[in-house]
Amino acid sequence: MRKAFRITPILAAALLLLVACGKKQTPSAGTSTTNTGAKLVVAVMPKLKGIDYFNAVERGAKEAAQEIGNIDLTYDGPTEGKVDQQIPFIESWTLQKVDVIAVACNDPDAISPALKRAREKGVHVITYDADANAEKSGREFFVNQATFEDIGRALVDEMAAQAGENAKVAIVSSSPTAPNQNAWIAVMKRYMAEKYPKMQIVTIQYPEEDQGRAFSMTQDILKTYPDVKGVFGISSVAFPGAADAVRQAGKSGIVAVVGLSTPKSMREFVKDGTVKTVILWNPVDLGYLTVYVAKAVAEGTLKPGAKEIEAGRLGKVKVEGDQVLLGPPMKFTAENIDRYDF
Amino acid sequence: MISKRISPTRFALWRQYGREMSVGVFLLLLLGYFGTTPGFLRADNLRDILINAAPLVIAACGMTMVIIAGMIDISAGSALAVCAVVAGLTAKSGASLPTVILLPMLTGAVIGAVNGWLVAFVRIPAIIVTLGMMSVLRGGIIWWTRGEWIGNLPPSFSAVGRGEVVGIPTPVLVAVGIVVAIAFLLARTPLGRHIYAVGGNPLAAARMGIPVRRVLWLVFVMHGALLGLSALVYASRFSVIQSNAGAGFELLAISAVVVGGVNIFGGQGTVWGSAIGGLLLQVISTGLIFRRVSEYWAPSVQGALVLLAVVADALRTRRARR
Repeated sequence: MRKAFRITPILAAALLLLVACGKKQTPSAGTSTTNTGAKLVVAVMPKLKGIDYFNAVERGAKEAAQEIGNIDLTYDGPTEGKVDQQIPFIESWTLQKVDVIAVACNDPDAISPALKRAREKGVHVITYDADANAEKSGREFFVNQATFEDIGRALVDEMAAQAGENAKVAIVSSSPTAPNQNAWIAVMKRYMAEKYPKMQIVTIQYPEEDQGRAFSMTQDILKTYPDVKGVFGISSVAFPGAADAVRQAGKSGIVAVVGLSTPKSMREFVKDGTVKTVILWNPVDLGYLTVYVAKAVAEGTLKPGAKEIEAGRLGKVKVEGDQVLLGPPMKFTAENIDRYDF
Repeated sequence: MISKRISPTRFALWRQYGREMSVGVFLLLLLGYFGTTPGFLRADNLRDILINAAPLVIAACGMTMVIIAGMIDISAGSALAVCAVVAGLTAKSGASLPTVILLPMLTGAVIGAVNGWLVAFVRIPAIIVTLGMMSVLRGGIIWWTRGEWIGNLPPSFSAVGRGEVVGIPTPVLVAVGIVVAIAFLLARTPLGRHIYAVGGNPLAAARMGIPVRRVLWLVFVMHGALLGLSALVYASRFSVIQSNAGAGFELLAISAVVVGGVNIFGGQGTVWGSAIGGLLLQVISTGLIFRRVSEYWAPSVQGALVLLAVVADALRTRRARR
């Protein structure tokens, strides 16, 4: 009895660890990816399956595959956004000798050796949404959904249109070390100085990934700087948090809230007028373009040095170096927001 | 002798509640300092501070019991997210108000019961159990909601977090009620005294015939239920509920408790202290924005102020011992 009791905690701890680590995702071998005849086998992997954003990517990828016709599309990936769960898929696809692998990478460096091995086995590799280490992975192209430049400019232009060109504005970001947010802020500052020299950033707050803090920080901003005419919410957490604070302070329509998030999470604020515009790229188009790029890379029509690529309904899409650019970000407003479910 | 017990001297009061009083004095000093900035002491700002502190204070009450019992819970932030989502989905399903209040509390209590069972009966250290639980719940909530936020909440739900009773915001009222109730529980009931005994010296408590394991388990269950309530108050203030809410919330709750003078090793402390501690953290956070402290410095200043509170307490304790 005593002995059994001593073992129980160890067993329980082991069990707990097992549960905590979750079931390892093992890709099912040989699904629909056997190379039959002239069909091009394209395997597309999201950062994780099952979230709205990547469901939209999947829809776009399928649309393109259907349009092109001779493409055998596999869309699969991990259920958690973890790089160690992405690698088995790549290894399995490499063994199956698919023609192209397109990955949205959870970690630029950790995934690179696996991509490199795929390249060495003659599989074409491209990335989309989040790039791998270009050198170490040997990936051929990165389908870039929006450059920092485009996003930063779109945010500032939108604010100028809503709050005026000489408005005092505040930024609610993510964490002080978040690379995307900091890159956007840098562009915003530079672009503001160039185009709207009278626009002034009074403060930048960092609520981390916490809605409650984004909310209370925006409340405090509105009280500390009563002459603030606009608030940027530049993460998917900061934007709704800031919008909620402005709405509950009764300042909808008086203080503009501009930011980046998915249309779905902002729909309520757009409907009641607190937020006029949500800025983001279109993930459906991103998936669509990725499959077109995959095809062009496999068929050798897209090579280094190319300036553009023909991509179905998107028309001619710009290529810069080893990046394919989806183009300027999209604006979701009260008129079009109901058409998007991501 | 008798007269002494009825009217304790000021010195006795200081000895009993010295920790709480020093934190309280510190809070007043801070209010005085931030109060020099225009607008800070205005009623609407103080009201916002109280409302924003309410979920933290409620959670800190549960955490106080856990820490007095010599335990810790670092899954509190994840549990908050789960309970917030449960609260939101229950409200959306059109359930009655009592259900919307009770279901998140029940969810929290179940999470607490599992934590408590593993800690008290399977005897795994609390930090390991709750570390595991933290990941299980975080992963689970993403899997369950697919990362989606919960919007389109009915007005009756928002009324919980934004309503008021006789001019006092509901969250503040709930927080005050919980603080008083838990203070009573800890100070005046056998269970409360047992919690102190278990945290102070578990071996001695067991020898005295206190059902140590059952007390520990109950502490986790009550703490879980309070987390559920905290989640409800937290979530109902917003128009959409973030499915991964409460990141870092556990550390905030633990900070509030420790700043409030509760002994991190168990056996000592009160919820009054923790409540003041929670309030202190919110005042600092708001005050730094009002003071226009550089955003890069704000976290350090906040941490330094917390340290200052703790050091002040340590000095006071040492002098009291002399």
